[in-house]
Amino acid sequence: MNNWFKSGSPWVWLSAGGVSISLISVIGLLWLIASRGLSYFWPADIYQFEMTDEQGRNTTVIGEIYDRENIPTSQLVHLNLDLDTSVESIERLLIKTGNRELVSLDFRWILVPQINQQSLPKDLVLIERRTNGNFYGYIENIILDGRTVGLEKMSELVERVSEFQAEMEELQKVDIGAINYQIERTRLKERKHKLDETLTPELQLEFKNTVASLRADYEVLEHALMGLREKISRDQIVMRAMDGQKVTINFENILKINFNNQLTLFGKIKLFFSQIGSFISDDPREANTEGGVFPAIFGTVLMVLLMTVIVSPLGVVAAIYLHEYAGNNALTKLLRIAVINLAGVPSIVYGVFGLGFFVYMVGGSLDQLFYAETLPSPTFGTPGVMWSAITLAILTLPVVIVSTEEGLSRIPSAMRHGSLALGATKAETLWRIILPIASPAIMTGIILAIARAAGEVAPLMLVGVVKMAPNLPLDGNFPFLHLDRKFMHLGFHIYDVGFQSPNVEAARPLVYATALLLVSIIVALNMTAVSIRNRLREKYRMLEH
Amino acid sequence: MISVTPKNLSEHNVKLDLNNLSPEQVALEIKNLDLYYGNKQALQNISMSIPKGQVTAFIGPSGCGKSTLLRCINRMNDLVDTCKIEGQINLHGENIYDRHTDVAALRRKVGMVFQRPNPFPKSIYENVVYGLRITGENNRRVLDEAVENALRSAALWNEVKDRLHESALGLSGGQQQRLVIARAIAIKPEVLLLDEPTSALDPISTLTIEELINDLKKQFTVVIVTHNMQQAARVSDQTAFMYMGDLIEYSDTNTLFTTPLKKKTEDYITGRYG
Repeated sequence: MNNWFKSGSPWVWLSAGGVSISLISVIGLLWLIASRGLSYFWPADIYQFEMTDEQGRNTTVIGEIYDRENIPTSQLVHLNLDLDTSVESIERLLIKTGNRELVSLDFRWILVPQINQQSLPKDLVLIERRTNGNFYGYIENIILDGRTVGLEKMSELVERVSEFQAEMEELQKVDIGAINYQIERTRLKERKHKLDETLTPELQLEFKNTVASLRADYEVLEHALMGLREKISRDQIVMRAMDGQKVTINFENILKINFNNQLTLFGKIKLFFSQIGSFISDDPREANTEGGVFPAIFGTVLMVLLMTVIVSPLGVVAAIYLHEYAGNNALTKLLRIAVINLAGVPSIVYGVFGLGFFVYMVGGSLDQLFYAETLPSPTFGTPGVMWSAITLAILTLPVVIVSTEEGLSRIPSAMRHGSLALGATKAETLWRIILPIASPAIMTGIILAIARAAGEVAPLMLVGVVKMAPNLPLDGNFPFLHLDRKFMHLGFHIYDVGFQSPNVEAARPLVYATALLLVSIIVALNMTAVSIRNRLREKYRMLEH
Repeated sequence: MISVTPKNLSEHNVKLDLNNLSPEQVALEIKNLDLYYGNKQALQNISMSIPKGQVTAFIGPSGCGKSTLLRCINRMNDLVDTCKIEGQINLHGENIYDRHTDVAALRRKVGMVFQRPNPFPKSIYENVVYGLRITGENNRRVLDEAVENALRSAALWNEVKDRLHESALGLSGGQQQRLVIARAIAIKPEVLLLDEPTSALDPISTLTIEELINDLKKQFTVVIVTHNMQQAARVSDQTAFMYMGDLIEYSDTNTLFTTPLKKKTEDYITGRYG
C-alpha cells in the first residue's frame, strides 16, 4: 500500500478523475441543452384523446404531448375520482392544446386513467399563427376571395399568402420605415435651425415642401399596403376545434399549415430544419415566446464585435506602457495589482458605472453638444449598443492587459537586443518585432475577453439591452450603423423568455434552444479567434533555444 | 602548456605601434573608461585604441568584463538600468557618450552580433533588410541588391538564395549566426562587434565563421570577444587580455601569445587559470 502511494499512481488517478469530471460536466451540459433545445423544433405527433372526466362527461382533447409525470394518488383524493386506491401513483400528461381564443391556457393536464381512447387522426392540422399561438383542429372549409373552394387549393393558397406577407413586410419595414426616418430627420433639421436662429422663411418653406412630398410618397405606399391587406383578408380558413366549435382564421394570420400526422420521417426532418432556420432568421412574436431570435443574435454579435474593436487597442496599449515604459517601481506594481483586481469586480457594478458615467454623464453631455435638436428625447443620453460595448470593454480590459503583458514578458531579450543593435529605436522595435511576436498572446487575451463579454448579461440590462427592439442597430438608413439604438441580446432573451414571459410552459423549450444558440455563437466567435491565433503562432513560432 | 600557433606568425603583417597610431589608423579610442553596475565597479580605467580594418580580440576569464567593454562600444549597456559609465569612447573623434549622441545612429555605425543566433521570426529576406527598412528604405531594387551583397559577404548566399522568403528559423544554428552577421553588415556599419559569436556553434560552423571574420576585416573594423584562446590567436590581429575589470595587456596577437609582458597574461594563456 505504501509503495502504491510512493509510485504516484494515486495522484495519476486523482488527476485523471478531475479531468473526467470536467469532461462529463461539459458534455452533460451540452447534451442537456441540445436535446431539450432541439426537441422544440421536431414536429410532434398530434393526438386525439377521448376521455371521461370525473363528472362522467365525455370530452375530446386534441394536442401534442408535452410532458408526462407521475403524481401520488393521495393528492387526487379530493377530486372524488373513481380510482383504484391500491395504486400509489397515477400518470398524467401535459397536453399542448393551443387554440388560445377558445381557452385561456394553451396547456392542460389529463390523467391517464381517464383516457378511453387515443388516436393519431391523419387529417388533424396544426396551424402556426402570428397571434394567439397554435391552432389544432380539422379543416372544414377554405374560402378564397369570398368563395368556398376545395382542400386541394390549400398549399397554393399558403404560398400566395406568404408572398403577400413578404411584400407587406418589405413595404412596412423598408419603404415606409425609410420615409418615416426621413420625415423625422427633416423635422430635426428644422428644429436645429430654429435653435440656432438661422431658420429663414425660405428654408422653412423648403422643409415644408420636403415633408409634404415625403408624406405624399407615404400615402402611396400606405395605399398599396391597404390593398394588399384587403386582398389577403378575403382568404379564410374555417376550422373545427376539439370541442366542435367552428373558428374562422384569416390567412393573413397564418404562418404555416402542417399535417404532422401525415409526415414521413423525411418530411419531419425537412420540417425540423426549416423550423430551426426560421428560429434563427425570424423576429420574435407574442412577447418573445414564439417566432425566432434573429434580432437577439444580431445584437449579441454586433455588441461583441464592437466591444472587441474597443478593448483590443486599449488593452494592448495599456499593457505596452505597463511593461515597456513604466519604471519598475512600487507605483507600477500597485497599478498592476489594481488592474488584476479590476477583473474581480462584479459585473453588475460595471453596469451601474456604465449607466452613471457613460450613459448619463458622457451621453448626456454629447446630447447637449451635438443633438440639442432632439432634446428632451435623448440620443446618446440613454442606454444603447455603443454604451454596452464600451461598458463591456472596460469589464474585459484587465483580461487583455494581463495576457498581453504575459506575452510581452515571454519574448526573449535577444529579440529586443537584436533589433536595437541594428539601429532601431525602442518604438520601432516594439512595432516591428515585439508586437508581432506577442500577437498570439494578444489574441489569447481577446479570446478570453470575447468569451467573458458574450456571456455577460447583468451589466447590459442597465446600459442597453431591451426585451424588444423595434429596429436593428444596422439598417439601410444613413448612417447605417446606429450606435445609439437599444438592442436585443441572447443572454437577456433567455432570462426574459424563461422568467418574464406570460406563458412559462410554452417558453421552456425556447429557453434551451436559445441557450444552445448562445453557446454555439460564443463557440463560433472563439473558434474564429483561436484559428487566427494559431496562424499567428505558426508564423511567429520561436525556435526552442 | 597549450600549443598556440597563431596564423599571423607565419604571415608578414605590418606591425602597428598600438600606442602611437595616427588618427586615420584609429577606428575607436577608449579613454579612461569606468563602468559601475550599481555599486560594483565592473571596468576600471580602460584606455585603448582599436585600429581600423583589423580584428581586435578581447580575451580573459569569465566575468573579467570583456563583454561589458564590448557592449560599451555601441551603448548596449544603456539597457541596463543600474549601469553607470564614466570616461569616453571616441568614434571619429566624437565621444559616443556625449549627451547629444543619437544612439540609434551610433548603432547603425557600430553593428553587433550576439552569442546566440537571434534571427527575427521573419523570412530570411526580411531579416537582412530589417536595418534598411528602419532607415526608411523601401525601394525593392535597393533592398534586393543589399540582401545579395550582405548574404554573399556573410558566405550564406549560395545556401539560401532559393529560399529567401522562407522563415529564418528554419536555418541551422551556424547558418542563423551567419544570417545575423549578414543582417548586421547589410546596413554597412564601420565597426562590427562580435560577442562570442561561435560559443553556441559546432566546430564546423565555427570554422566557417572564423573564415568569414577574416574576410570581413577587409570592409569593417572587427572587435571580437572570445573565451577561446585558439580562436583569438587564429582570427585576430590585436589581442587585449582583461582580468577582473582591468585591461592587463594589449598588443598585437603574435607578441601577446608568444612573449607576454605580464605574468598574469602568461599564466592565463598557458592555462594556469581561467
